[in-house]
Amino acid sequence: MVGSLKQARIAFVEAPIGRLVNLLVILAVLYVIFILAMKVVGQGPSYFLQILTFGVANGAIYALVALGYTMVYGIIELINFAHGDLFTLGGFISVFLLPIFGLDASKAGTAGIILPLLAVFIVTMLICGAINVSIERVAYRPLRRAPRLAPLITAVGMSFVLEGVMFLWKGPFNVPYPNLLPTTGFVIGGATIGVKDIFVIVVAGILMVVLALFVSRSRLGKAMRATAQDQDATELMGIDINRTIAATFFIGAVLAGAGGTIFGLYYNTMVFDLGFSAGLFAFTAAVFGGIGNIQGAALGGLLIGLITALWDGYMESTWTQVIIFAILILVLVFRPTGLLGMRVPEK
Amino acid sequence: MGNTRRPDDVNRKWEDRMQRRWNTAGAIIAGFAMLATACTSGTGGGGGGTSKGEIIVASDQPTSGGDASDGLPAQNGIQFAVESAGSIKGFKLTFKGWDDTVNGNHDPQKGAQNIQEMIADSKILGMVGPNNSNVARAMIPIANRASFTMISAANTNECLTQTFAYCEADTGTTPAKLRPNGVNNYFRVAAADTFQGPAMADYAYDTLKFTKVAIWSDNETFGKGVADKFSTEFTKKGGTIVVRQDFDTKTTNDWKPFLTDAKNKGAQAVYAGATSGTKICIPRAQMKGILDGPYMVPDGGVNAQCIKDAADNAANLYGTVAAADANQNPDAKATIDAFTKRFPKKEDVGSYTFPALDCANILIEAIGRAIDANGGNMPSREQVRAAVAATKNFKGTTGTYTFDANGDPTSPTMAIFQTKGSPLDWLFVKQFGVGG
Repeated sequence: MVGSLKQARIAFVEAPIGRLVNLLVILAVLYVIFILAMKVVGQGPSYFLQILTFGVANGAIYALVALGYTMVYGIIELINFAHGDLFTLGGFISVFLLPIFGLDASKAGTAGIILPLLAVFIVTMLICGAINVSIERVAYRPLRRAPRLAPLITAVGMSFVLEGVMFLWKGPFNVPYPNLLPTTGFVIGGATIGVKDIFVIVVAGILMVVLALFVSRSRLGKAMRATAQDQDATELMGIDINRTIAATFFIGAVLAGAGGTIFGLYYNTMVFDLGFSAGLFAFTAAVFGGIGNIQGAALGGLLIGLITALWDGYMESTWTQVIIFAILILVLVFRPTGLLGMRVPEK
Repeated sequence: MGNTRRPDDVNRKWEDRMQRRWNTAGAIIAGFAMLATACTSGTGGGGGGTSKGEIIVASDQPTSGGDASDGLPAQNGIQFAVESAGSIKGFKLTFKGWDDTVNGNHDPQKGAQNIQEMIADSKILGMVGPNNSNVARAMIPIANRASFTMISAANTNECLTQTFAYCEADTGTTPAKLRPNGVNNYFRVAAADTFQGPAMADYAYDTLKFTKVAIWSDNETFGKGVADKFSTEFTKKGGTIVVRQDFDTKTTNDWKPFLTDAKNKGAQAVYAGATSGTKICIPRAQMKGILDGPYMVPDGGVNAQCIKDAADNAANLYGTVAAADANQNPDAKATIDAFTKRFPKKEDVGSYTFPALDCANILIEAIGRAIDANGGNMPSREQVRAAVAATKNFKGTTGTYTFDANGDPTSPTMAIFQTKGSPLDWLFVKQFGVGG
């Protein structure tokens, strides 16, 4: 009796209010889109193109970091909070390697930087990969069969450890990163598209395509997908899941290391706690696109970069973070598994 | 690495292993704890007393974090003043410094904890600091209940000493609330922010002849406040603010959309309301290739870190400092030379080194008068506070100081600096009295 009364009240009171709230949300979204569109039209196409360039370049870096989150989550359902700090560590390691490979500001913009820079990239990526594999071995593998919260907390702990190490190494100040890339650009439709922007987009794009091919075509990629679906069955098939998971951490960290190096080359500054905010947005990007989904992470990263640039360029930047998370909530309300959806393993 | 695991064993093995791990973890944590306590066991103390006993002058500055580029030079000034005095009226003078940094940034709660530690030590009769206004806001009420004197060289937030209608809304407090026992214990030599933003606005409009400026701030009490005041004054003069943005600098890396917007709207220069801890000069590096023209900063950016962050675009920076430049005072030369001998490195000295040195000397001189007032004995903290409040025409390296009833200097000075030369450095442009 009481229960049915309660239900009736809920049906009576909540449904109309719910509908009203939905309507208000839709109106608010339309209003914001309208204002933004008016400003975009008002400021002309070349400015729009310029902002898009910044957004895509920024988004490409987020995407690289987001891939690491999504791969690790996809395979062992762990949110690796230390991943953002690994990205920063990549930047720190590469800034340390630059002089060893003979790179400094005097060589900026010359063709001579290409080979040494490639070497710096590869060494940084390998070191980051090795560090992440060790982190997995020490902090996550022993807890693989423990309650879900335990590895989550060790991940937070590893994040603090990495930040602490970088703090002791370089101190609290912004670390200058030499401006090696050419500062010139091409003028297209009134917008300047810098060599730096192109560099970021191309390098990140290549890495993402290679990753996608690797996961879909190679034997190890197949093993990863199998492990993500069912660890026990995979093991029964004779696949070493420890090795497969370690490989996932390795690849994720390789991308983070590359991301850190690209960030340094693009913004010419690093700071020890950069990983916190970068990691937060990259993780958001992964959720945006559908966590566990590699294409989704790339799309999510790109979108976050674009939203940030558009909002900073046209609206009040005080609200940028609010808008990103408001859009995330909206997406999750309508598509709880993110834009592209997660391939949910059957268990 | 083949791993053959027998399912029936798993649980017991797991428990065994966990037990071993707990032991290891315990050992590691104990090790860290020992290391941590070993590191924090303080400086301070000092040997046996000269005749009558020991008096300690304390300081609180951010000496290890992102603001250490301001905090360490200020602490050097205080330490130098105490060391130079050596003793006062038969009491040995000792310096003891506190750091208010947590996780690389100045922290109000750490400041509050520090001042409680100072108050607990009866040899400490007063302190110089802090560097940041929000830290001061946490410290003043605690010090006030103990009649404990604070003199700051660099706090510029106007709501620390003066009552304005917006103080409650902007900072959540008022000067009266900060002083629960009703008697002022907080003094400063810096000019309040009511002067700092407008001083740069006047300079930009009158001297540099700009009419269109873009502004960004870090959205913090100091940064946003000084940016708002620049904006008001610049508009009042007849200039236009073409773009205004407030950023969360913890999560912002890219200022290029803002700068491109500013350029498209005809900005001739950019004003930044922020500090070194909130990336004040990072956008300056990104201006290269987008927007030519000077970059103007408040005192939170007038330091070596800003020049580093601005990278290859560090020329043509303008900055205000809310105190006079000691180098312009011929009487201060001997003191400056002696200081440089004691602290020879370039990064040892900053724009608030000599204002902080003056604060320490004001405190020491007042302690001397308080000793006299107490018949040559160790004075009470209230006697020291009253003596500081009564300070009249104290001749320091950066000016002559008298405090008004609020604790503000009666004739504050504003100085303008510019980056010039090779290697680039902050060079004095001009200074002028404000208010009073």
